[in-house]
Amino acid sequence: MSSIFDSANKLSTMKRILLTIICFTAVMAASAQENTLAPDQNPNYKVSQDKYTAQKETLMANMNTTVQDTYKAYDWYIAKQERRQQRIDDRRERRLYRLQNYGNFYNPYNQMYDPYGDFYRYSPNRFRYRGWRHGW
Amino acid sequence: MKSIFVCAVTALLMFTSACSRKVTRIDPAETPDISGSWNNTDSRLTAEEMISQALGAAWLTNHTTEKGKKPVVIVGMVTNKSHEHIEAETFMKDLERSFINTSKVGLVQSGKKREELRAEKADQQTNATASTMKKFGMENGADYILQGSINSIVDAFKKKKTVTYQINLELTNIQTNEVVWIGDKKIAKYVKN
Repeated sequence: MSSIFDSANKLSTMKRILLTIICFTAVMAASAQENTLAPDQNPNYKVSQDKYTAQKETLMANMNTTVQDTYKAYDWYIAKQERRQQRIDDRRERRLYRLQNYGNFYNPYNQMYDPYGDFYRYSPNRFRYRGWRHGW
Repeated sequence: MKSIFVCAVTALLMFTSACSRKVTRIDPAETPDISGSWNNTDSRLTAEEMISQALGAAWLTNHTTEKGKKPVVIVGMVTNKSHEHIEAETFMKDLERSFINTSKVGLVQSGKKREELRAEKADQQTNATASTMKKFGMENGADYILQGSINSIVDAFKKKKTVTYQINLELTNIQTNEVVWIGDKKIAKYVKN
């Protein structure tokens, strides 16, 4: 009876040893394959591989896209049109400012206290008190 | 009363005719130049030139004779360094289509579409049947990467302007970094305002 148990025990020990040897061989083979260099391959390739593996997501973010790195070219005609539009915008802004600050003493555009200024020019009452009844 | 009615009808006609918009279908191959900016014709001319250059160059036969199989290309980044907003996808897609249609060059997906593919594959790992589930790590690796740039030169004075676009596409061997092909297309325009 004991001999049967002994042989079973031996078999399981053998199995365990065999499995350990197989695992060890597999790990060694895998590591050897990893460290094997291709013909003429740089032995320091791992440094670069690790560096680029770490940042590959960022570097590949623009893949298959058009990156717009445009510049503004000087065009005489367009520059002239832009200057004209700027003058129009500035004038409009000045008028708006005058209207919003109408009658304010500290308003730099206020003509209320300027005897030669056209006080009613930007006033909402510009056309209301004009005519012969109001002394033109 | 009659004159008022006539005036009203005339005003109505003038108003409606002034507001009417007319749309005419045109042939995409014959897009007229309107502003002088980059348009469909430029994109089409670039695509045609690039296709003929890429498929007629030596890199293709060199690769096929050396490796015994057709090259696999992945599309990389195109940088627009011109003065206008230009989307390169319009002519890049024509080029990619020609690669597939001629069966001379293999193409693998890149960018956002590749991310979507991998996400779908990941989803299949838990939702698809075992027999139809696609495995990770079985993608085709590209041999070459296709990258490009768009540049422009503007010379303008008073109402006259010349614009020159230069479009370059480069095909580089991913393993060796060797540039095997550079496609080039120049487009020059004279614009008078």
